[in-house]
Amino acid sequence: MTGSPILSDGGAVKRALRLFLCKAVWLVAVILVGGLFGATLVRYGPGYGVDERELDPRLSQASVEALRGQHHQNASLLSYYGHYLKSAVHGDFGTSESTQRPISELIHQRLPVTARAVLLGMLSAWSLALFLAMLGQFLRGWIFEVCSTLLTGFLLALPSTVIALLFVYFRAPVFLAVACVTFPKLFRFIHNLLVEAYEQPHVLAARARGIGPVRIFLRHVLAFAAPALFALVGVSLSLAFGAAIPIEALTDSPGIGQLAWFAAINRDLPLVVNLTLLVTLVTVAGNSLADYSGQLAARAS
Amino acid sequence: MSAPKSLRLISAFLLCVIFLLALGANFIAPYSYAKQFRDAPAAAPSAAHLFGTDALGRDEFSRLLYGTRVSLLLAPAAALLSTLIAGILGGLAGFLGGWWERAILASADLLMALPLLFVLLALRATLPLDVAPLISAMATFLILSLLGWPSSLRVIWAAARNIRESDFLLLARSSGSSPLRIIARQILPNLRPVLAAQFWVNIPVFILAEATLSMLGLGVMEPLPSWGNLLRGLENPSAFHANPWTIAPLILLILVVFCFQFILPSREDFA
Repeated sequence: MTGSPILSDGGAVKRALRLFLCKAVWLVAVILVGGLFGATLVRYGPGYGVDERELDPRLSQASVEALRGQHHQNASLLSYYGHYLKSAVHGDFGTSESTQRPISELIHQRLPVTARAVLLGMLSAWSLALFLAMLGQFLRGWIFEVCSTLLTGFLLALPSTVIALLFVYFRAPVFLAVACVTFPKLFRFIHNLLVEAYEQPHVLAARARGIGPVRIFLRHVLAFAAPALFALVGVSLSLAFGAAIPIEALTDSPGIGQLAWFAAINRDLPLVVNLTLLVTLVTVAGNSLADYSGQLAARAS
Repeated sequence: MSAPKSLRLISAFLLCVIFLLALGANFIAPYSYAKQFRDAPAAAPSAAHLFGTDALGRDEFSRLLYGTRVSLLLAPAAALLSTLIAGILGGLAGFLGGWWERAILASADLLMALPLLFVLLALRATLPLDVAPLISAMATFLILSLLGWPSSLRVIWAAARNIRESDFLLLARSSGSSPLRIIARQILPNLRPVLAAQFWVNIPVFILAEATLSMLGLGVMEPLPSWGNLLRGLENPSAFHANPWTIAPLILLILVVFCFQFILPSREDFA
């Protein structure tokens, strides 16, 4: 077996490293700008600087002054943001205003629930979408086209909240609801991608030579579609996380989505901003990784 | 692949009928959307109340008509604003190129990287929940339009860049046309199909986003009805069993989104 073309020469390795660095810089930039956006929301949101603890009759005047001084230190946006970043680096994301619990603790408790639902949902949606898109290529009939268009059109026309309610009625697992929201978008993209791949001249030539359908699919179609499919993995991660909010809120699943909804209802800005940042970090990292893998795959093929 | 012409005509006809019904809600609806019949809460359909009443005794049919008006008028308005923002920024990025292009594309990529629903929640959380219903409806759709432009921008930017590199623009420049004339006579007519397509694509997206936000209690506020807060009736299965018309807003929403999917114009329609 010959080595991968990417690793076979120094120039390719350098290019791969440069690509990786670009993605890493982009990730850091997104987090910094996202953090600034979040800090701006919190700093200028109604109620900032009002501390209920000041009303506690047990506190002395000095303690009250100390609390006010604490807020005064972060009066400007940049000092607030700097303080926020410094604390975040040390794992301190502040305290939730509605639950009065550390935000890092809340995230630590709820992230595994959402991660499980999102990953299993993505896996189910991908399996079904890939299977049906491949089936469509082998069947190649108008009946399949009409049925798949109607099914995906119907699912796309349903708000994710309604899908969540259906899953509550049928007592089905949360990850299936996430899959149900993600599947139609994935299927349409993969289906169109496979149609385009099968229309490529080299695929037509392979068919004309009598090469078997499985070999054509694995050697020619997948090689053509791989970069876009890798990119789609990142997009589907973002879709699945977005779907998690309404689904977890309505199915009473104790995950990040439900926490975000709870924070928004209670106008707990520090919590909602930290959750947005966390999800952004996860989705951007996922997207960058998928993009990076896709570009490597494109160069390899 | 666009839908067959007959299907598109049927979709257009259905959308027109629903739009007209929504516009004429003041004349067609038998009652105001907020009027309560305290002696008939959760009533079954009857001659007095075609679709029955909700748990607060309000006429479901009237609320559906008024709710359709809110969703179907504000979603296109939000789509228009969003397309306008995308058009201006995408056009600037496409024609100016250089640092302008990089900065605008980077900001669009950045916004697209943030999960839309999380950002919507974050922005909505900064606004008070106890605002007047009409203001809550305006705020919901305004937030949607302010956050919904980046995906359209990419498409418009690509079209604008193609036009920038086209021969006819070079010819127009070399023949001494002024920049304003070039924009009015060459650029805008060529961007029109892309702008129109993005406008149509955004409408169902915003309708669904409003439905999701309102069902979560963060969109249009009661007593003003919208499809989103009417769908909250589905949260109570016993109400649905007592009055199957509770599902009417969902059917209407699915029908409208389906129609928008079929009606999406192809490039040839604008040629």
